[in-house]
Amino acid sequence: MKGPGSGIVGYMAVFNAKDRVIECKIVYYGPGRSGKTTNLEFIFKAGKKYTNSDMVSINTKGDRTLFFDFLPIGLGKIRGCDIKVQLYTVPGQAKYSSTRKLVLKNVDGVVFVADSLEIRRKENLASLKDLQQNLAEQNMNIFMIPLVIQYNKRDLGDQGVPIMPMELMERDLNSKLKAPSFEASAVKGKGVGDTLRKCLILTLKHLQKELKWTQ
Amino acid sequence: MSDKERIRLLIREAELYRKQSLLEESKEKYEEILEFLQGHERYSKDKKLIDAVQGKIRTVEGALDEIENTPETPELSREVHELISRLFSFSENEETAAMEGAIALAKFGQYDEAIKSFKELIQEGIMPLVAAKNALMCHLTLSSADAAIAQFKQWLSQETFSAKELRYLRLTLSDHLAKRGIGVDLPQVSEPIPGEVQEKEEEGIIDISSFVVRWANGPLKGQRTEFEVSFQSGNTISTIIAAQEKDLVDAFKPGLQLSDIECFSPIAVFKGKGIVADMKKISSGRRQRDYSLDIRIEGG
Repeated sequence: MKGPGSGIVGYMAVFNAKDRVIECKIVYYGPGRSGKTTNLEFIFKAGKKYTNSDMVSINTKGDRTLFFDFLPIGLGKIRGCDIKVQLYTVPGQAKYSSTRKLVLKNVDGVVFVADSLEIRRKENLASLKDLQQNLAEQNMNIFMIPLVIQYNKRDLGDQGVPIMPMELMERDLNSKLKAPSFEASAVKGKGVGDTLRKCLILTLKHLQKELKWTQ
Repeated sequence: MSDKERIRLLIREAELYRKQSLLEESKEKYEEILEFLQGHERYSKDKKLIDAVQGKIRTVEGALDEIENTPETPELSREVHELISRLFSFSENEETAAMEGAIALAKFGQYDEAIKSFKELIQEGIMPLVAAKNALMCHLTLSSADAAIAQFKQWLSQETFSAKELRYLRLTLSDHLAKRGIGVDLPQVSEPIPGEVQEKEEEGIIDISSFVVRWANGPLKGQRTEFEVSFQSGNTISTIIAAQEKDLVDAFKPGLQLSDIECFSPIAVFKGKGIVADMKKISSGRRQRDYSLDIRIEGG
């Protein structure tokens, strides 16, 4: 069992009752090159007032995430508690499976960044299945964890490149999960804030219930 | 759509995939263009156009090769090493967390830094046997069998480990060397001074980080439940069960024999049996009302 107050389902959030600080972990998951790092970069640039730290990225050639990206942000006080959030991305390429498991450990909320490009349909499905399996390995259920799906790169349709219709992506990825979902163009910042906001709301509500956190 | 329009569209697509670093997809698209050109008499003789597309394919292949040949364990700064150790140590127990931090460095391929951390743990007496074994594994992963052997010999000449622990490390190292096809006759461990074995025996117990109980009877029959160890004292491991896990709270009664337990340590997974040594409600603190469960592991 992991984390304070947890049952079989483990989560990472640390609740320091004395100082009234809650630290939680949100992981951006998805296939390689779907735009997870771009999401974090936008959040970092747009939300500098929320963080005193730099964003840490460990990349390899071609700007591929090798280990993870890490961005700590502070949300200030909510219901009398200081909320600190750690945002991570996982490396999307299939071969980095063990790193994904390690980064996903004790996660509190997940943003699944799907690639709207038609040629990446299979990769989206494989990555979502990988997420489900890796959560299950730490006794977490994809249907229970705070999860938001982002359909990224919607802007590429305007450039004459085949992208999947939203209905198809919803059917592929979200017909059973029924998670909140957002269209996005992370490179332009569109949909990035909405996605994060929704994930934070779901995660904090979940933690509020789990940690019995009241003012 | 005219042929020209089609070619233009395919090129736009291939270029966009390249810019997105979707290099395999870009290459496939350029190959599709090439096939199209070569299959149409009108374009198949256009050497300039075909050369241009072939050049694009070579560029994309070059980029793919570069990625393929990039070392996957980059040199990271000290700050990033510290960050990795901090972010990927999850235990509330400081010693276990220190071990998890060192193991995380190894998992991220930072073997030299991990070896340094394991040596510090040995010096500080934090899970020294686990740290020693992990340090040897790091040496071996770095393909430096000589360094692993030299390290073992150094420990052999020191008083850091008991004879029993050294024998365990010797066996582990020789097993791994043999698996790598390296036949080395490691020096034997001398017999311990009487009394030393008793004193050191408990330290030789492997640290268990988590365990799985497979239920043979009762309402949970057939299920498996995983627990994270919050404490370990000798062969007794402790975990915490949340009050709302009523099935589990009811299932663990002191004296209950657990015939199928799978224990996970940073270095090994082993099966064993156990007995519920204690199960009590926590009366104060953050985990008030939850339960503290002690299980005595009795070996396989």
